[in-house]
Parts: sequence; structure tokens; C-alpha cells
Amino acid sequence: MRWFSSQAWVDVPTGGVVEVPLAQTGEGIAECELLKWFVEEGDQVEEFQRLCEVQSDKATIEITSRFKGKVLQILFVPGDIVKVGETLLKILVEDTPSSLDTQSPLTSVSDFAGVDCESSSDAEEEIVGGILATPAVRHLAKQHGININDIRGTGKDGRVLKEDILNFVSSKITSQEPPSISRTIIDEDELELLNNGKTLNMNFVENQHYEDKTIPLRGYQRSMVKSMSMAAKVPHFHYLEEINCDALVDLKAAFQSGNTDQNVKHTFLPFLIKALSAALSKYPLLNSSFHEEANEVIVKGWHNIGVAMATPYGLVVPNIKKVQSLSVLEITKELSRLQLLASNNKLSSEDITGGTITLSNIGAIGGKFGSPLLNLPEVAIIAIGRIHKLPRYDDDDETIYPASVTNVTIGADHRVVDGATVARFCNEWKLLIEKPELLLLHMR
Amino acid sequence: MVSYPARGVIRPVMNLIKLKEFSILKQLYLEEKLLRSSSENWCIINNGTKQPTIVMGVSGRPSELVNINSVIRDQIPVIRRFSGGGTVIVDNGTIFVTLICNKDDIPGLQPYPRPIMSWTGQFYGEVLREFGDFHLRENDYAFGSRKFGGNAQSITKNRWVHHTSFLWDYDVSNMDYLKLPMRAPEYRSARSHVEFLCRMKEILPSKSTFIEGTIETLGSHFSVRPIQSNAATNLSNISHPPSTRLLTRPELEQALLSASENSDTNSSIYAVP
Repeated sequence: MRWFSSQAWVDVPTGGVVEVPLAQTGEGIAECELLKWFVEEGDQVEEFQRLCEVQSDKATIEITSRFKGKVLQILFVPGDIVKVGETLLKILVEDTPSSLDTQSPLTSVSDFAGVDCESSSDAEEEIVGGILATPAVRHLAKQHGININDIRGTGKDGRVLKEDILNFVSSKITSQEPPSISRTIIDEDELELLNNGKTLNMNFVENQHYEDKTIPLRGYQRSMVKSMSMAAKVPHFHYLEEINCDALVDLKAAFQSGNTDQNVKHTFLPFLIKALSAALSKYPLLNSSFHEEANEVIVKGWHNIGVAMATPYGLVVPNIKKVQSLSVLEITKELSRLQLLASNNKLSSEDITGGTITLSNIGAIGGKFGSPLLNLPEVAIIAIGRIHKLPRYDDDDETIYPASVTNVTIGADHRVVDGATVARFCNEWKLLIEKPELLLLHMR
Repeated sequence: MVSYPARGVIRPVMNLIKLKEFSILKQLYLEEKLLRSSSENWCIINNGTKQPTIVMGVSGRPSELVNINSVIRDQIPVIRRFSGGGTVIVDNGTIFVTLICNKDDIPGLQPYPRPIMSWTGQFYGEVLREFGDFHLRENDYAFGSRKFGGNAQSITKNRWVHHTSFLWDYDVSNMDYLKLPMRAPEYRSARSHVEFLCRMKEILPSKSTFIEGTIETLGSHFSVRPIQSNAATNLSNISHPPSTRLLTRPELEQALLSASENSDTNSSIYAVP
């Protein structure tokens, strides 16, 4: 089973009103009933303090605060049904001295008020003035005459560790400029730059020096750690096939030339998705989900085809729902909508849950072969490589001509699906891509 | 996602309390107290409760779930418990098993409803698979498609309770006190209580087979520490008032009154098969 502990990564203003939504409390739970509040408007709340209790199906769940601040407004009363993502209450998050430092990256929270999935287990640590550190660390800072608020914590949730103090002290001694931290924390923008391969502009002092950078994993990246670790436990097998894309290339060109709508840009993916759905109708086992503990395979009715997207915030897989009922044009528009939301980090939990199979168009960036990891609890994933020209024999088996080809790798859960099924399924899909006119036979 | 028992590693301690015919109201008080004031793991197994009792979930409304007239007439106690979920009528044929855990003591288990339901489902699967076609169906335990165990949970910041009422045996006439629920799991397919439920005693040889089997499976995940029941059940030092409540007769009468005021047609007195 898959869960995302946070639907989207929220930028927390240090000092300002935060709208605290009902966070996702597990796969498939779309709404909860509010049972009771433990706070009132005007109350001061501490980090990790209980805010309210909700009920979802069989469970009552306590929701705790991720922030320290004052409750400004409560938006639901006991008995109300709250949808996941709706704002439960508004909190005025307190200003901390460090918020005046414009360079300071967001060192708190990667998910908002909800059932904590990671919280401080060290009862000794204190949160004073918004900075998390043990009394011993604070004492050390005082001994060195340092204001702990000037230090960027490299520990979990941004807490200041003893090493941070010591690094700060040693860099203070060696530099003449205002102190630079020798281990820097990277925030999301810098992470994007790293991923894009541009060099960072750091706080250089006298000479340039290459230093280690610590990147605390948040949001999508943290989800990726969890989901890939689980996927690695599943016995995968990978099936590779080459697909001739000449017809697909012509098709896309035809769509584009007949395109009257400026807002629509035709790419290969929507047709591939529609053809995939047609193949799934013939081999529905590949559109299923495996539930280990119940030892059951649930063959899903609708084809909710996920499309892996690389965003500045990390890997995310939103899905296009009910592909059987969509035309290629509708798929094109929906894909575009999801891509826009993904790049702005505005995907909803509805967009990223409920997928039944995943496509990874890694070829858009590059590459020929892949061994993709399953997006659990799905049983199949398909990586599509770059379309490129290679010499191939024509239908007459005598003439060599430049063909557009791509390699696809299908990763599948070998507990559920066998090679023969995948091979037949892939043949079906390949046939529809190489001869798109056959799709007309299945069109409703 | 399922976690695996940590073999060869120091297992966390699980305190075990075994009770017999302990009042379900007191059991729920005990559970709440342990959830909120203890930092240890607890398993409570209660072999039956003396008196037939109706137990509703935290937001249960008697007028919707219970045939109030007959409940008042026959003086059946109605409790609203602190966890979510539906309504059951329990008696000395019910076996209660409750797990109260620190979220960190089960590696890899996330403290959300579905993962916990899945983990506990697998746990009971280990206990019961050899006896019957065990399934976790939505939130119920079933042999085939017939329910024999109902579950509910309460999740706090670092701990969770998952409790189950297992139908070792039940009295069919007791089912008449309950209405057919408005929200039912899909697999129920509008079956009556009798067609939907299953008695464990038809599948397992004895109650102790189940109880001892559960304790044994518990031992493969935890280091089980039995606790003397009288020591554990001393409830005199409850620190905060429990959410679990026994509904009073005036409350039930009031519910009946407001229900008949609100509905256009009279709610049926007896459960519709």
C-alpha cells in the first residue's frame, strides 16, 4: 500500500498566517468527520500540541500542530465533514529572530498538521524562540558567545546540533567576512539548480573551496525514499521491446497540422496512453493491484494511467483517470493540466492517488533502456526511451531505411504477472502504436 | 505496508492482560487510560462480557443504529466508545482483543488507519489461516465473505489502539436490537445480520485455541510480559475523564423523541432482514 504523508510541500512563512489543512491520513481516505476541538480561537499552541480529533471510517485520529503560534480562526465545528486538503484552522505563526535573516532557508516542517509521521522523540529538546536544540547545545553556543538564532541547524527538522556550533565557530575564525557555515543547507531553489547542473553561487570568502552540502530530504524526495525502499522488496522482472514509431511520428504531425487550438500542443504521450488503455482492456491483469497481506489481486476496472513527472521538487506521479472514457485530445489536455500543476507543486491528493499503472517517459530527457521500479501497489510500470533514428529493414525485408524507433521497458511484479502475459500485452500495445489505424476498431 | 517481525533483534515489550467476562465498559475505560497515560505496549484479551451490551462508535447516534424501544424495554446498556467505527452487540460469546502500541515499536508501520488495519490483518491471518479462509475484507475479518470480527481504532500522536470484537458465538435474538446500518461495507451486499455474520465456534475447535494462538503469534512480534489482571484493572487512578460513556436512559428516550420528530415515517422497530 502506498501513502503520501503530505499532498504538497507548503512554504511556511516564518511569521504570518498559516492555513492548516486536514492532511492526508492514508491512501484513499478523502474526508473525515470532525469530532472535537482541543483548542479555541485565541489560544496559544505549541508545536506538537493536540489541535483536534477527527474520525475517518473506523478510526479516531488526533491531529497535532506543526507550528507554534496563536489560533486565529477555526473553520469547522464538531460533526462537520472535512475533505482532505480543506483548511481546518488558521494559525498565526510566531515571528522568530531568524526570520529577519533573508538568507535563512525554511528549516521547519515538511508536512503540515496531520498525524505526525516523524516527530521529535527526544523529550530533552526544547523549542525556544523557534530554534530546536538541546539544552547542552544551547549552553555550548553561549559559551562561544554565539547567538543560536544565527546558526542553521543541520539536524532533523532543522534542529541545531553540536557540530553546527563548532563549524560555525571554526569558520568564524578563518573568515574575515560575516561568518559562512562550512556545511550549508540547501533549500529547494538551490536543489533545483543542482539538478539542472548549474554551479552554485556560494558565500565565498577568500578562496573558492568545494564543500560537502547536506540536503535534508523533504516533501516528494522523502516520499521517494519510502516508496522506492518498499518497491525494492518486490520481485521485479523487466521486459524490453523495440517499437517502430514511424506511424506515431506521422500521427503527431497530422494532429499538429490539423490543430486549430493554440493552447493545445500535441506530443507522443497521449496516443501512447490511449493505446496502452486499449491493450489493458485485453490484458486487464496488468491494470491490477496486489495486496500482499490478503493475498489478493484486485483487477481494477478503470484505467487510471500515471505519468511520472520530474519537477523541480522531485519525482511525482499524477494519474489520468478513466482513460477508457477519454479521447486522445482529452488526454492531451488533462496531461497538460497535470504537468502545469506538477511544475508549480499544486497537485491535489486526488491527482496523485488511485493510479493503476504508470508510464515513465524518461526518453523525453534521454536514454534507451531502463529498469523502472514499480509504483506500488501497481503490478506494472513502463519506461519509454528516446525516439531516435536507426537503420531498419523495411516490410519487404530487403531495403534498409531510417526508422524512428524507441525502446520500452516494462517492469512487472513477478508474484502476480508472468513473462508470457507481459509479452502478449506488449505485443498488443506495440501493434497499436505501429499501426494506429487499428485503434479505430476499438473506438467507441 | 506490512512490516516483518524483527527476528534476532531485541523485540519490544508487550504487556498482556488476560481477562474473563470483564465488563466491556470497564475494559474500554482501561483501554483509554492505557492509551493516554502509558508509554508501553499493551494487549488485552477479554473472554466475554457478562451482560449483553451495545457498543457504538464515537459518533454513533442511537436513533440510527439501535432499536431504542426494545433496548429501553429490556434494559440493554448502550455504550459510546472512544474509537471510531460501527455498532456491535456483545455478550459472553464475544472475545475481545485489543492492541495498544507505540507507533515506533513496529518497524516500518505508519500510524494511519489503513496501514494499521493491514498490519493487524496480517497478524490475525497468521493466527487463523490454518483454520479457515481468512480475509481482511475492507475493515472486517471474515471467513470467506462472512464476518466474524469487527475492528475500530483510535490514533494519537505517538500511539494507537486497534481493538477487535470477535464473534465466537452470538445470540440471534440479540441482533434484533440493532438496526441495519446505513453505512455498510460493500461486501455485505445488503445481507441480513444472520447471513452476513459467522460464528468462530463453527470454524475453530475451542476458544482457547484462538486465545492461545493469538498469544503465540504475539510472541513472534513482541516480548510478551503477562500482567496480573487485578493489578492492571485498578482504575482508581484515572487521570482524565474518559470519552467512553454509558448512555443514560433519559438520553436514549431523548434520542427516540427527536428521531420520531425528524423522520416522516416511523423508524422500524425490528431489523429488516
